[in-house]
Amino acid sequence: MNTHPYIRAYLAGVFFPTLGLPVMLAGFLVLRFVFQVQFPIERGLVFPLALVPSVWGLWNMLWLALRASRPIPAGLHGAILPLLLLPAGACIATSLGLLALGSHGVTWFQSCYVPYALIAPCFLAAIAGYYLVWKYVVGFLNRTLGIA
Amino acid sequence: MKPNDLSQNEEQINQNEEEFQALLRKSLPSIGNAAEPARDLWPAMLRRLDEKPASVPWFDWALLAGLLGVAAFVPASIPVLLYYL
Repeated sequence: MNTHPYIRAYLAGVFFPTLGLPVMLAGFLVLRFVFQVQFPIERGLVFPLALVPSVWGLWNMLWLALRASRPIPAGLHGAILPLLLLPAGACIATSLGLLALGSHGVTWFQSCYVPYALIAPCFLAAIAGYYLVWKYVVGFLNRTLGIA
Repeated sequence: MKPNDLSQNEEQINQNEEEFQALLRKSLPSIGNAAEPARDLWPAMLRRLDEKPASVPWFDWALLAGLLGVAAFVPASIPVLLYYL
């Protein structure tokens, strides 16, 4: 009997980012329409709302496919994902005008200035966050859905 | 419908049912002598119920603290991190 493990892996992968979508969308809408932030934030929604959940699902499918030949813990597998997502997200953000590169730092959403010196800690924080979420949330879902 | 047709239908249904039963018996092999497991599974079940959940290693706490530290000291990183989630 085909138990469709890859569909379950995809669903386990998309679960966490999809769960956060309504919260993020609410935050963006509050900023835009309640606090009247002039910056067109909705331009930036395409990456977190459309791409990130799908990439998480596909990444979990890849983890399942690799498990037979090269088993690695889900946390470590998830920690690799920011290495792909961060440059991709930065490229999309730059092309959409969400990210401006300056001489001493970058400006996100025309308001969040991050000096270059702090980009490395932020990058490490993203990797740590991904590691923890993949280890505890996606790993739990994989076990619950019977694919780990 | 005539009474004769009704009885013919009934006969057909009974025949189909018998055929279906025979097919089911054929497709489900007899469990024979393996009706019970070789060993008692209940003690293992009790052990599993008594198991404590694995504790979170210190390394993961340190990572969480680092993540919260970055968010606290560089608040501008919060929307950026959310953007990637």
